[in-house]
Amino acid sequence: MLRVNPAEAAPIWRQIEEGVRRLVASGQLRPGQSVPSVRDLARDLRVNPATVSKAYQHLTDAGLLDVRRGEGTFVAEAPPSMRKAERREALREGAERYASLAVTIGASRGDASEELGRAWEDLARGKSGGQP
Amino acid sequence: MSAETNGAVAAFAGLTVRYGRATAVEGVSLAVQKGEVYALLGRNGSGKTSMIRCLLGQRKACAGSAALFGLDAWRDRQPAMRRVGVVPESPDMPPALDALELANFCSRLYPTWDGKGVTSRLERFGVPAKVPFGRLSRGQKNQLALALALAPMPEVLILDDPTLGLDAVARREFFEELVGDLADRGTTVFISTHDLHGIEGIASRVGILKAGHLLLDEEMEALKSKFRTVRWSGDAGPSPDAPSLAALSPLRVRRDAWGTEAVVRAFDEAAFARLVQDLAPSVVEASSLSLEELFIAMVGEEGGLS
Repeated sequence: MLRVNPAEAAPIWRQIEEGVRRLVASGQLRPGQSVPSVRDLARDLRVNPATVSKAYQHLTDAGLLDVRRGEGTFVAEAPPSMRKAERREALREGAERYASLAVTIGASRGDASEELGRAWEDLARGKSGGQP
Repeated sequence: MSAETNGAVAAFAGLTVRYGRATAVEGVSLAVQKGEVYALLGRNGSGKTSMIRCLLGQRKACAGSAALFGLDAWRDRQPAMRRVGVVPESPDMPPALDALELANFCSRLYPTWDGKGVTSRLERFGVPAKVPFGRLSRGQKNQLALALALAPMPEVLILDDPTLGLDAVARREFFEELVGDLADRGTTVFISTHDLHGIEGIASRVGILKAGHLLLDEEMEALKSKFRTVRWSGDAGPSPDAPSLAALSPLRVRRDAWGTEAVVRAFDEAAFARLVQDLAPSVVEASSLSLEELFIAMVGEEGGLS
């Protein structure tokens, strides 16, 4: 359910972070559900455990995952509450990355907006979208 | 020892190895820090094995040095090697002994020995305990070597092309086991390999060796962000030394029927935006490179570096 491509330019920890976000956003991972241990996910994906750990750390810092000592790592019960300014900042950062991607693959502004709308609809319908 | 190699688990400083008049390694310096997984890449005969033999104290450097934990690998071989696990290219063990006998024999050479770990790894790998080493398959020999190398819980694992000649399943199992150990113990790893696909997600740092010279020594993440293939339609466009392209440091520029393709090693968004402007109205695309593509661009026959 989570895939990474080490050959991509995007760092693997970011691919994992975004993959988990996608699974949560589309409801495939529900609040309170456990996520694989760093060791298991690293073995499954055959990536450096430090990379998985970095992704989990980012997600925990963002309030999306919840580490319960001795029990494991879980999807947070409540969606992370963010101040308006923080949310804006996070959106801008993500938008900047998306826009850069669009420009560097030669996509038009119209194409990019259209895909964004489609991704939004897919998530709402509970499809994970993204990688084929 | 230089400041840069201070505290490194393994380090080479100006290492030079010659065989008669032939130079195998020339002035190579690099350091492997604690917790890193350092992948040393190079074509056959590029000097990888010579470097590893120096690091294991099996060969004396002609100039420069190889060190483990700050100890000279040649002079202080004994104390250094006790803290090291090794998987050689072709594991060589007494052919009449089976896995259990070999484990039993090796266990006496080390102060700590994780016997249960050996048994469970051999089970996971499916290596038979009672078959003499000489009758094991190539993959099984390497798997056994890994199990024995990990048993003393070494601080660093040194692997010389450990998946060479293994089939896809055995390669996968080998890397999974390595990842499991990284997760459990955070072992530092120095690995030479041709399996660029297998090591791509695991290595944290990469060195590329060509004809005894170190062409590149960089964090994997930085490497991935700097290398790109840039393509544009048509054969018009800047020559490799035009400022907007030169800013991206092209390794090689090729023209074909569909357009022009450049592999660049200093990609950044701003410099790329200027190139896009220069090349308008051509369509310009940038795409990432796999470790294998990057390696070929660096050392391949037509690679522009000489």
